[in-house]
Amino acid sequence: MKRIGFPLLALSSVLWAGIAGAATRAHYGGTLHVAMRTAPASLDPCESGQLGFLSNLMFDTLVLLDDQGRPVSALASSWQAEPGNQRWQFVLRRGVTFQDGTPVTPDTAAASLRKSNPTWKVFSEGDAIIIERDSPVSNLPAELALPRNSIVKRDGGKVAGSGPFTIAELEPGKNMVLSAREDYWGGRPFVDAIEIELGKSFRDQMISFDLGRTQVIEVAPEQIRRAAAEGRQVESSAPVELMALVFPRDPQSPDDARQRRAFALSLDRGLLKSVVLQDGAQPAGGLLPNWMTGYSFVFPAMDLALARQVRSEIPHTTSWTLSYDALDPTARVVAERIALNARDAGLGLQITGGSNADLRLIRISLGSLDAPTALGELAARLGFSQPSFISESIDDLYVAENKLLQSQRVIPLLHLRTAWAVSGSVKNWKTTRDGQLNIADAWLAAGKP
Amino acid sequence: MPNVSENAVYNARIPHMRVPSPRFLAITFVVLCVLLCAPVRATDFRTPEEQLSRKIAAVTGPGALVVNIVNRSSVAQAEFEQIRRGVLNELALVGVRAVGAEQSAGAIEISLSENLREYVWVAEIHQGSNEVSIVMVTTPRPDSTVMPEHPATSVVIHKTLLWTDDNRILDVATVSTNPLRVAFLEPQGVMLVTLQSGHWQQEQSLPIEHLHPWPRDLRGRLILRKDHLFDAYLPGIFCRSTANVPLALSCFESDDPWPLAPGPGLSAFFTPNRNYFTGALSPGIEKQTTTKPFYSAAMLPRDKYKLWIFTGVDGQVHLLDGASDQTLPQSEWGSDIAGTQSACGTGWQVLVTGNRDKISETVQAFEVPDRELVPVSQSIEFGGHVTALWSEADGATAIAVAQNSQTGKYEAYRLSITCAQ
Repeated sequence: MKRIGFPLLALSSVLWAGIAGAATRAHYGGTLHVAMRTAPASLDPCESGQLGFLSNLMFDTLVLLDDQGRPVSALASSWQAEPGNQRWQFVLRRGVTFQDGTPVTPDTAAASLRKSNPTWKVFSEGDAIIIERDSPVSNLPAELALPRNSIVKRDGGKVAGSGPFTIAELEPGKNMVLSAREDYWGGRPFVDAIEIELGKSFRDQMISFDLGRTQVIEVAPEQIRRAAAEGRQVESSAPVELMALVFPRDPQSPDDARQRRAFALSLDRGLLKSVVLQDGAQPAGGLLPNWMTGYSFVFPAMDLALARQVRSEIPHTTSWTLSYDALDPTARVVAERIALNARDAGLGLQITGGSNADLRLIRISLGSLDAPTALGELAARLGFSQPSFISESIDDLYVAENKLLQSQRVIPLLHLRTAWAVSGSVKNWKTTRDGQLNIADAWLAAGKP
Repeated sequence: MPNVSENAVYNARIPHMRVPSPRFLAITFVVLCVLLCAPVRATDFRTPEEQLSRKIAAVTGPGALVVNIVNRSSVAQAEFEQIRRGVLNELALVGVRAVGAEQSAGAIEISLSENLREYVWVAEIHQGSNEVSIVMVTTPRPDSTVMPEHPATSVVIHKTLLWTDDNRILDVATVSTNPLRVAFLEPQGVMLVTLQSGHWQQEQSLPIEHLHPWPRDLRGRLILRKDHLFDAYLPGIFCRSTANVPLALSCFESDDPWPLAPGPGLSAFFTPNRNYFTGALSPGIEKQTTTKPFYSAAMLPRDKYKLWIFTGVDGQVHLLDGASDQTLPQSEWGSDIAGTQSACGTGWQVLVTGNRDKISETVQAFEVPDRELVPVSQSIEFGGHVTALWSEADGATAIAVAQNSQTGKYEAYRLSITCAQ
């Protein structure tokens, strides 16, 4: 050994401790096995709200949002708005093809957007798509990043996208296999294929994961902590799914409005978060989470004394019925806890499986990292009229959100996290802040070059 | 041991330019460091302080109120105290005095909060039995600052931030020192920036056209040349610049091998639609013309031969010396390595990527005495994944590019080595 060898080796035992693992470049190859709870009835992103992460595997949008909600180029290479923000031009990226090999043209893209937005005026002009709206829209790029605005080629009952994967096999409701596209404009995905089991309960998914049959499974929000404590690698999003109570109509009388207020003040969201959801959620005062707006703490929190006081001002209260998705175990425990809260405030609340209950417990994904777009999507899903924004200021966003809450049609409860248990063999797994997955960037350690 | 300045090759193509002396280069480096390493100044919050105070005063009018300010954001305590004082001063200027509860006609609860992109300052104003009035202002959040370096051990790696960009930076090359001019290779093309009056200014942007989609995990190299300014190597594409600024760039499809180390020597073929070298070498190491597919390579000169180190796609480290192909046991090395020359230790170190944790990657220096991988420095951390690590033309420094996990931006650093005290 040379002179330098000994001191170097003496140092090495100390310095090796500084390295925790290898920063390995991505490997190509292999099949990723994934399970999910939903089994979408349709693969058309315009018709199905259940595609979830499948959407960006098969389809592209004109624009994407980065992790801070800023629009970035996807199928559109550039865009601009004319003064007034009513007429927008999106220049289409060249050389992109659908999975059937046909080119993505401004005509097909415009037809796709007309299908998903019947009230918009959309047409092609040269290599661009023109969108004309009835009123000024400053956040149209963010709106176009919504999965329902994916560019889809529709041919009879068949749909084709331009995404990084193409459908190789499909057994509706049970199983699908997606294969990587060599010619994807964003670069071929690292894995060769993804095999997805559809409609699997959380329990079945966990068993399959623990047996090593599945490498990626969904984890219910209330199971995140336990799954991690048991040694599984769990990747979760920011709290992005609104769980709320929704009334089908506006308050029918001043007493009805007061009862709704008393009920909202009785809800112990902190307990729901820490005990029922095991910190897999955040209490929600507003429709949008605080990490998105920065102001949601201003909305009223639980105040049982005030709830009882307001309740005492109502001569005759109504006993309400509450329904929830019977297939959702999280919703069941939350509904039971809410009934106890209502009772503490002197209000009657019966849980029912019926479809015409007085109020419903619902879960809605925010859908966008852009706060005004997310609020618009929530309003649409709740059946409310669309919020209008005079400007892009935070004040306008607050006013619009507060107006929806003041309607007393919706009582926000929690913002839930989306979580996945991921096998150690899956590398570069990214769950974005809004719960989206970029599986095309994931790779398998066992893959062959 | 070869002298660094004698081996420099990047100034010969400008005939009238003097060869810079080592002293000049050292001064330039120091100036560059001073310009680029200046501490980040604290954000100026005077504007939002003033705006919020005006909005509050528009609701309350002049008067005496209880003012409570809380921090719900990532603003540090010291900065929060400054903001608190600033807001109280601004409120006083618009006639709103902060007083105790017994003297007040109402209360203002100010929260320094934040969302995805901005700080959000919210004032909840309670006056009499009126409903709570809410006013708010926003102000941009600064990007995160550079991670600190670790203390020195055997050798010390220094990193100097050169450039930050939204686009992926594939490689960086200093194409001239007077004026200081740096080329950045990005997926869209080559960007040329010049240091003028202490500020970096974009001088030229040279697009790279390509028919086929770039592979994911795109890699590329910028190699300085003597008879023209540089060559750019990308998967399936080769580009050659002209000699003088303003430059032109001609690109064409090519599977020409990429140079693996500064100066003339070994090259290797890169897989056009993947992120690794095929293993075919040109012209070869003595008689060895192939090795396993690999991600990167570094050369360590020995007395009578050159030892080449390859980080294989199979996760193993391969040592080739022209006669033998030795596979070292599974190491904790990452995929990227770069050879550097210094006045420390054996005179040659290999910079190696590694993982500190899931979001922060590291670079550490190693030496390979007797074909053992021996770490000789502490790891330096990057605030995200290291996406490129290449030796620079002078052989004494390396370029590391990391994607900041907080900002998503690509940060190009120059890595240099000094001996530990």
